[in-house]
Amino acid sequence: MGAAERTSEQQLQAENERLRTRVASLEAELVETQARTNAIVAQTQERVYWLDRWHLDLNALMRRPGAAELRGALRGVRAVTRKLRQAKRRLRP
Amino acid sequence: MPSMSVVIPVKDGERYLEELLDALAREGVDEVLVIDSGSRDRSLQIVRAAGVEPLEIDPAEFGHGRTRNLGAQRTSGELICFLTQDATPVPGWATAYREAFALDEHVGAAYGPHLPRPDTSPMIARELTEFFAGFAAGVQRQGDATFLSNVNACYARACWEEIRFREIAYSEDQAFGADMLQDGWIKVYQPSAAVLHAHDYGALEFMRRYFDEYRGLHESTGHVEPFGMLATARQVRAAVAGDRRWASEQGLSGTEQASLTARSAVHHGGRRVFSALGSRAEHLPAPVRGRLSLEGRDDRTATGATGESAAAPGLSPDLAPDAAPGVSPVPPSTHIAPKRDHDDYQDVARFWREGAAPLLDPVPGMAERERLRLALVIPSFRRGSGGHNTLLQIFSRLERRGHLCSVWLYDFTGQHLAEWPAVIRADIREFFAPIEGPVYKGFADWQGADVAIATGWQTVHPTLMLDQCRARAYIVNDHEPEFYAASTEREMAEDTYRHDLHCIAASPWLRDLLIERYAASADAFQLGVDHSLYQPRPVTRRKDTVIYYARHVTPRRAVPVGLMALSELHRRRPDLRIVLFGDEGKLESPFPYEHLGVLTPPQLATLYSEATVGLCLSLTNFSLMPKEMLACGLPCVELADVSAESIFGSDGPLELATLDPRAIADALERLLDDPEHWEQRSREGIEFVASHTWEHATDEVEAGLRHALREREQSE
Repeated sequence: MGAAERTSEQQLQAENERLRTRVASLEAELVETQARTNAIVAQTQERVYWLDRWHLDLNALMRRPGAAELRGALRGVRAVTRKLRQAKRRLRP
Repeated sequence: MPSMSVVIPVKDGERYLEELLDALAREGVDEVLVIDSGSRDRSLQIVRAAGVEPLEIDPAEFGHGRTRNLGAQRTSGELICFLTQDATPVPGWATAYREAFALDEHVGAAYGPHLPRPDTSPMIARELTEFFAGFAAGVQRQGDATFLSNVNACYARACWEEIRFREIAYSEDQAFGADMLQDGWIKVYQPSAAVLHAHDYGALEFMRRYFDEYRGLHESTGHVEPFGMLATARQVRAAVAGDRRWASEQGLSGTEQASLTARSAVHHGGRRVFSALGSRAEHLPAPVRGRLSLEGRDDRTATGATGESAAAPGLSPDLAPDAAPGVSPVPPSTHIAPKRDHDDYQDVARFWREGAAPLLDPVPGMAERERLRLALVIPSFRRGSGGHNTLLQIFSRLERRGHLCSVWLYDFTGQHLAEWPAVIRADIREFFAPIEGPVYKGFADWQGADVAIATGWQTVHPTLMLDQCRARAYIVNDHEPEFYAASTEREMAEDTYRHDLHCIAASPWLRDLLIERYAASADAFQLGVDHSLYQPRPVTRRKDTVIYYARHVTPRRAVPVGLMALSELHRRRPDLRIVLFGDEGKLESPFPYEHLGVLTPPQLATLYSEATVGLCLSLTNFSLMPKEMLACGLPCVELADVSAESIFGSDGPLELATLDPRAIADALERLLDDPEHWEQRSREGIEFVASHTWEHATDEVEAGLRHALREREQSE
């Protein structure tokens, strides 16, 4: 085997090694992403249990006519309540 | 520009006929055909005055589908429009239809809205307007609404020639709509192709008309109008409120609105009742049907009160063969419309059509990786499902070992149709094991996996079609083809072992069967026992009690044989206390017994701790129950020569008997009569199952999953 062939084979081996390392790192990355996804979905499923139980899709609900107005009205009521509480606190001796 | 013919069936239609023919002249259609079925008013005169020569037919020959087919045959336009005698096209109607057919070469039919006339009652006006407002303008394909109305519709001749109207009593248009979409034609809703049309009958006539309409709808599509007192009250209240709102918008006075409210309540209430009756007309006596029908139609008469809509059901005269004397004629057939959009085993059909999804290329060392991405595909479940308990006991432990686990429910039976994923996950955690990972319903969010794991036979074909997998495995709890007699299900269950899934079987017996019978690649695992629960409880052990797992809804439990054995035992020992459990149904038997129904695991542990002998039979794979009995120190009788020997050996802690009532009774008696023998079996049982833990089962399943990945590496 000539020196040139030896060099070429060594280069191939090095390239293979580099690719293997790259694959391993991508695989590890995939596992981490999947772990995070699983955790987020599971956590969300824990949190929305009662919404799912009652078949409540809040996004769909809030898209219905009047929902935005109702929300606006509630925010208005909340703002007024806050102001009243603040005023009460200020007036408190 | 395509030529256009218009066909109008007429009977006593003088009221709007002149207006209609004038409108058609204005629209510039190429051909008008009026088919009269015995008018006794001025209809024929009006038609002839408009320069149209009517085609007169015998009223008895009229049929909605048949007469319209005749009209299409007798005309020549590339487009065939159908109008009723009281539907007047608005300006631009013909042009609008021509535009609809220019949208796509596959447009087979188009229809336009029905507008109320100025004198139409508010109930009908509102209903018409809101009904057509519900359709989006444009094309409708297979899977969309099949609605089509011959009050105002237009057909491509090519489509009519292929589909033709069915000869049914009513709703031939609706049937055509369904048939054409099924055959790949396109339908168009064209809002500009409107007609003025409204039936304004008296209250009772309306109700009888609804009876006819829903009867026809039922006959053509199978629709049954739901009816419930509360629901009806709610619907009528909503409809009356809608009418009042409409009347208010139209500027009706307070008195007019009050009068409308009463009419509206009668109208909508009557409609609900009569439409429900109409769609169940076949359950009513013929004379009652005749009375309720506006057309006086029952199954034996075809005398139309209005002529236009009367039709004889069943075979048309030209289709009914003349039967020779002594030869029974074939009875009239019933057309059954499609009622759902899928086959029973649609995923199996898809798999047979498309095959398995290709697996990802293996990655060197993937079988030995510490954390695997595992996706468990499970079938529908109930509280107490034994197979699911096994799967999830193991899967939750794999999760605790660091593997990334997700559960995918394949709801083949539709049992979980109303449940959303978070509820399914909570049920799995409550019924079986506290998994931490996510639960998905269906595969819409499929993300790929190192190993996709099929479980029940129904899950195998969908699992084979999941992509982005490195390997697939199959946890086999039992030889499921044996659950069925010769059947489609049996064949499909057998098929699941022939697709190169690496099997992980729930006993050595089952593993060997899969290898020998199906040449499958297979490992085995031993079912585990929850020793924290199943251990001798602090209760007094009785000396006179045989308990029997008599789950008669599961045929593989050989309950008739078990009962015969207990009958024999009772004959020999009348004082023996016999307790049956495992099923809510109470069995009839020739011996007295105590019934316990379905018990919770803690209750089972107590029962096993106080009984003298247990009886649990399985004609297929060994189940968990005998192990749990043994763990509580309860000797148990099982069937010999099936699967138990593969776990316990032929002289292990189980008392084995052949499938013979006397042999089983003998085995039970040996344990009842001989205290030393009982002691030995009890002690050996506890010792034997001590090593049968879920942790150990998890080790074996994990090894099986890694084996599946290793096979993939080696196959490349």
